[in-house]
Amino acid sequence: MATLTTPKIEARSVSKIYVSARTGDKVEALRGVSFSMKPGEFVSIVGPSGCGKSTLLSLIAGFATPSAGEVLFDGKPIDGPDPARGVMFQDYALFPWRTVRGNVEFGPMARGVDKTRRAAIVARNIEMVGLAGFEDRYPHELSGGMRQRCALARLLANEPDMWLMDEPLAAVDLQTRVILQDELLRLWGDAGDPAQRRAVLFVTHGIDEAVYLSDRVIVLGRRPGQVKEIVDIDLPRPRIGARTAPRAAALIDHIWNLIRAEAAQAIVEEP
Amino acid sequence: MTLPLRIKAPLIFFPALLLSWECAVWLAGAAKIMPYPSGVALAAIRDIADGTLIDAIAGSLRRVITGFAVAALLGVPLGLLMGLVEPVRRALDPIVDSLRAIAPIAWIPLALLWLGIRGNAALFIVAYAAFFPFVLNTIQAVRLIDRKLVDAARALGASPLLVLRAVVVPGAVPTVMTGARIAMAFAWGSIIAAEMAIGIKVNPGGAATVGLGQLMVSTLYVKRDINGLVLYMLSIGLVSLAIDHGVRAFQRKATPWQR
Repeated sequence: MATLTTPKIEARSVSKIYVSARTGDKVEALRGVSFSMKPGEFVSIVGPSGCGKSTLLSLIAGFATPSAGEVLFDGKPIDGPDPARGVMFQDYALFPWRTVRGNVEFGPMARGVDKTRRAAIVARNIEMVGLAGFEDRYPHELSGGMRQRCALARLLANEPDMWLMDEPLAAVDLQTRVILQDELLRLWGDAGDPAQRRAVLFVTHGIDEAVYLSDRVIVLGRRPGQVKEIVDIDLPRPRIGARTAPRAAALIDHIWNLIRAEAAQAIVEEP
Repeated sequence: MTLPLRIKAPLIFFPALLLSWECAVWLAGAAKIMPYPSGVALAAIRDIADGTLIDAIAGSLRRVITGFAVAALLGVPLGLLMGLVEPVRRALDPIVDSLRAIAPIAWIPLALLWLGIRGNAALFIVAYAAFFPFVLNTIQAVRLIDRKLVDAARALGASPLLVLRAVVVPGAVPTVMTGARIAMAFAWGSIIAAEMAIGIKVNPGGAATVGLGQLMVSTLYVKRDINGLVLYMLSIGLVSLAIDHGVRAFQRKATPWQR
């Protein structure tokens, strides 16, 4: 049973080795990664290309299993996906044959929520992300920012305990991204009661984004992916409207200096 | 009114071509062995008026649609199974590939032996021809399904059955539809050949259940009506265009999420 002291997520010496089905080559994506997350904590994972940050997320989502070590969710080993851990994908992974409503409805439908309650959940979440009026659009009829909102509404409609987000803002333009960062914080409860917040694991390329959003930032090194440092972001909340604190700049510099050399290396190496 | 060249050019050229064709046949005195436009037009009026043409098209279409439906009902589930279960695909791939290599009309003798000449033989040939596009495209469709969508559904709490019903099946629809178009073209192409090969025995006089293929054979050997033959060839082409148009319209309707 999960208690107040049980971490939401605990990764213990997690390694992941991929074996290519075609060539038999082994690629070590993660080596000995350990960290834990408290309930309600916003944690980002940053690192250069090839540091295994998406791999780590998919292990926690339950899409893959570690080659060594284990990942615990509420103290129990993860075996397979669980609607309690909602996932938001980099390219949103919206069902193209379902409308906005159909996408948002999918989780409650899969969990057997009855039609009337489902309709209420869907309406509330679509409203919450600002997509009211677009319920009957198909994903291809939406802008990048609207697709992102739709994916967020789909995630929220399932009321997961934890949000796993794989570079959810990477594919939208810079201004949209800034707006969506604030919205994400608002939905998470940046200004609200910390006890009401969900745990968020947020994978991103953007160090400034990670610092702005997170309570802690896990910095991964590459080849294989290892924890370089876990940085406490000691900026006060609420943060909406306070993007350019001097302390934030110092933290961004610190993290950037941790990964600069490897990020430069990543550019000249094959992916 | 000025028409664009795209319309104006054929509008002038086409009647001119028909006219010179007509004149050439008559001037050469070849009206017995060469078809000519006015003869084809007269054959059309005659065959439409007495119902021959419509009956024949209806007879062929009925078999094509039945064969197509049988092929879909057998081919799509098999394709799903082969696409989803790797060992099944490995086991059946060589068989499907070898059977596919045998031209459908090569089955006519066996089909006649087993099913007789009442029309079931032709149905078998059509179903056989249409079966493989369904199987192959369904396998391909399953393999092309975006892994991320499956993961997304599972993370939202979908059971394996719901993943199949709500992700795999709709995800496969566009590619299966493409297979259906190919299957329909194969079916229509092979019904004519099958009916021609079977037809002469069935139909010396003009019974009710003939198709276009049978009609062509009797027109060739019994009536020796060259203009009629051209009329039936034109009909085959027109029906083929109409079918493809229909399947495409259905495809658009069935996949409204595609741009």
